[in-house]
Amino acid sequence: MNKKQWGFTIITVLIGVMLAIQFKTVKNTDVRDTRDTWQLREDLQNEEALRLELLKEIRSQEEKIAQYENNIAANKEEILRTTLDELKTEVGLTEKSGPGLILTIQPIAEELTIGSQVGKVTPDLLKRLLNELNRYGAKEVAIGGHRVINSTVIRDINNITKIDGYSIQTLPLELRVIVENEHDAEQMYKRMQVSKSIEDFFIENLTLDIELAENEITVPAYNEPIHMTDMKEAGKKSEGGHS
Amino acid sequence: MWLPILGLFIGLFIGFMTDFQIPDEYANYLSIAILAALDTLFGGIRAHLQDVYSEKIFVSGFFFNIMLAAGLAFLGVHLGVDLYLAAVFAFGVRLFQNIAVIRRILLARWTSKNENLEKN
Repeated sequence: MNKKQWGFTIITVLIGVMLAIQFKTVKNTDVRDTRDTWQLREDLQNEEALRLELLKEIRSQEEKIAQYENNIAANKEEILRTTLDELKTEVGLTEKSGPGLILTIQPIAEELTIGSQVGKVTPDLLKRLLNELNRYGAKEVAIGGHRVINSTVIRDINNITKIDGYSIQTLPLELRVIVENEHDAEQMYKRMQVSKSIEDFFIENLTLDIELAENEITVPAYNEPIHMTDMKEAGKKSEGGHS
Repeated sequence: MWLPILGLFIGLFIGFMTDFQIPDEYANYLSIAILAALDTLFGGIRAHLQDVYSEKIFVSGFFFNIMLAAGLAFLGVHLGVDLYLAAVFAFGVRLFQNIAVIRRILLARWTSKNENLEKN
């Protein structure tokens, strides 16, 4: 009898432990935050930057509202014009200058490429580079003196790379990148120094020289009419915040 | 009679005191193992009440059922079929049956005890 009870007891102890562990596991399965300090810090910084931007936007919009309300009769035209100018700036129809980087795409030294053909800037390379630049915070970009805007197309037409219809055949090709401030420019410079794009260009027999502009650089205005056949006006109740 | 219940509480105490947790992915296996364990436990109690209890059957049944259930769940996960439901079903039904038998035995004993008392 006694021996029987011991076996039973050991089993019940085991069951108790299992039950307790299961209880604890089930209780603690709410979503755990696995981000470490650095990731958290980075996220926080991102969010704060976003918040600042949103605040700025709110302020500008509020100012505009106030202006509209104050001078409905008097300065309607002027306000409309400033709004139009702002929008033009945002879209890229005006010249813009600021701190930034100058990237130069050149063929690599001839001694290295004897026998192989001179490198060609393919649309893929350019797109990749642009994506990278945008990721690192580029505000405005001009490729070979042609402004890149949201609707810019880079594509291969008859074996010639074209940006919005302008062909890119001559090397060196200069890219001007404008960023928000000098700090950003420096950061982008450092990031581009170690970027994979340099290798990608090298594979195509091209070099990508990156230079941090000492003075402000200027990108030209987009000088083509913008076609917007596929765009629609956003609903009036759309949530704001995307600038 | 009281030793196993004390054991259960000791086990619960140990489980809650130690800071041991299993990963989420294995919570399923543990739950099915617990079901198997409970089934064996009630089976053992029933056998005990029916005087057919065997230590060997009980202990081996305990571990074998747990392994079978966890194995079935594991197989189910890898086959994409919820095989653990089979274990849940089997053990659930057995659990109810065992508890029903236990209840009947206890009731029968209780009533017979009362009758005996009345007779005396």
